[in-house]
Amino acid sequence: MIEIKNLNFGYSKKKLLFKDLSMQLKAGHIYGLLGKNGAGKSSLLKNMAGLVYAFSGKIDVIGYNPAKRQPALLKEICFIPEEFYLPSVKIDSYVKANAAFYSNFDHNYFGDLLAEFDIPVDQKLVNMSYGQKKKLIIAFGLATKAQLIIMDEPTNGLDIPSKAQFRKIMAAALTDDRCIIISTHQVRDLDNLIDTVIMLDESCVALKASVEEITKKLCFKRIKELDDTVIYAEPSLSGYHALMPNYHDEDSKLDMELLFNAVLAEKIKIKAAFN
Amino acid sequence: MNNTFDIQRFGLLLKRKWLEFGKIYLITLAVVFGVILAAYAIAFWPVFTGLEPFNERKISFRVPLFIGLGFLFLTAVASSYFAHLGQKPKTIIDLLIPASTFEKFLAGVFFTGILSTISYLLIFFLTDVVFVANLQDAARDKVYFFSIVRHGLYAPVYILPLFVTSIFLLGSVYFEKFHYIKTALSVMVFIGVWMAVVFKSGELLTRGRHAVENNPIVHSGDKSPLECMLTLLLIVLTIVFWVITYLRLKEKEV
Repeated sequence: MIEIKNLNFGYSKKKLLFKDLSMQLKAGHIYGLLGKNGAGKSSLLKNMAGLVYAFSGKIDVIGYNPAKRQPALLKEICFIPEEFYLPSVKIDSYVKANAAFYSNFDHNYFGDLLAEFDIPVDQKLVNMSYGQKKKLIIAFGLATKAQLIIMDEPTNGLDIPSKAQFRKIMAAALTDDRCIIISTHQVRDLDNLIDTVIMLDESCVALKASVEEITKKLCFKRIKELDDTVIYAEPSLSGYHALMPNYHDEDSKLDMELLFNAVLAEKIKIKAAFN
Repeated sequence: MNNTFDIQRFGLLLKRKWLEFGKIYLITLAVVFGVILAAYAIAFWPVFTGLEPFNERKISFRVPLFIGLGFLFLTAVASSYFAHLGQKPKTIIDLLIPASTFEKFLAGVFFTGILSTISYLLIFFLTDVVFVANLQDAARDKVYFFSIVRHGLYAPVYILPLFVTSIFLLGSVYFEKFHYIKTALSVMVFIGVWMAVVFKSGELLTRGRHAVENNPIVHSGDKSPLECMLTLLLIVLTIVFWVITYLRLKEKEV
């Protein structure tokens, strides 16, 4: 669905954010895009949506170049930005004005999502809380039935029940012809939702692996004492949360936060575990 | 699917744009209407109430009002059209709406160059007709404002609304903030520099020479060649500004 080849991008030519970045994203997956502040998560998403222009390299999204901003591609992209704007109108006026651009817009599904997110339908958009607005644009975006769903920090501003609803809705929204990319700092919000992890660090992809592949090669454990096999560990009340190579095919649950910190701290060791 | 222009998509875009832009546009138009109404009321009230007799001087305010207010209205509307592109959240939504950049640009030309001009002319002429129609029969025929236009204006005047709005539309997409002031300042600086260059170069080129008496353009007695050239120049400049606006819109990033 998305093919990025040798992408060179930055906000200044002297300091590139991505150097020769390449990756492929396929339909039928939910990708979690992680990285430190300033690692380029939002910029990568904007490159995919054609909101910024790269210096060189190629991006192909469903057979189109996103930089051309062609309507045929734009109607297949649902982009949920971190900061967004909604006009001072009611939901039905907003839908009337925007939904017609998306030939596959599903009004019934949109109604169901509004009900599930508990959004008041007769309220003006400007009078809604930040969380309600966010849920509304998520509901609208999903109802467009776009093939590519890009979300930048979608759980920011959502309360705890809404985060659970979000995970449930997103898991149900995944189909074989859809690709969902979620960028977030709040890695715990993506637990049990994403199937592939992409980590950006120092202008490149530090890790891109499926959850299955990660738990096959790495083991997430609680241990009392550290030994030589431990790649990375964080102290806890009862010992350590440790990450180590999975030599004995042990079953363990992916700890996204631990993995994230491990990739930043022990990049070489983690790469070695995947090679 | 045509990725450059589709009439149905363009219609949807106009409708969507009206939802956001229409409110500001109508408020501005209402203010303009109020100013016109107030100016006419002040000038005509003494005549209607019989306090003063009607004379031509009573309505001499119309031409400066028409030009001044028209300029302010058209430039204000054009200058605010793409102004939201200076704000990241609004830019994201606008750029990702499934319509082509050409359609988005064309919608801008429609609202700023065509709809604004027509609506301004309409409210000005209608206000004029309503007030003048209530004057005495003898004076009425002479003083309708559109009777000036009926005899034909200097040709470049017809292009001026599009020309002026094209400059301010470009300013609205080019600058991130303070679009109106920055565009007005840029135009003033450009005119200043241009006049200085023309004056200096003219002085240098014609130093020690005499003017030709029978210049076919300036001294023919028939102003149409100069008029045509000026009209053509304005048309070309308007198109140039529109092309730059389109390209600027195309390369807009978040």
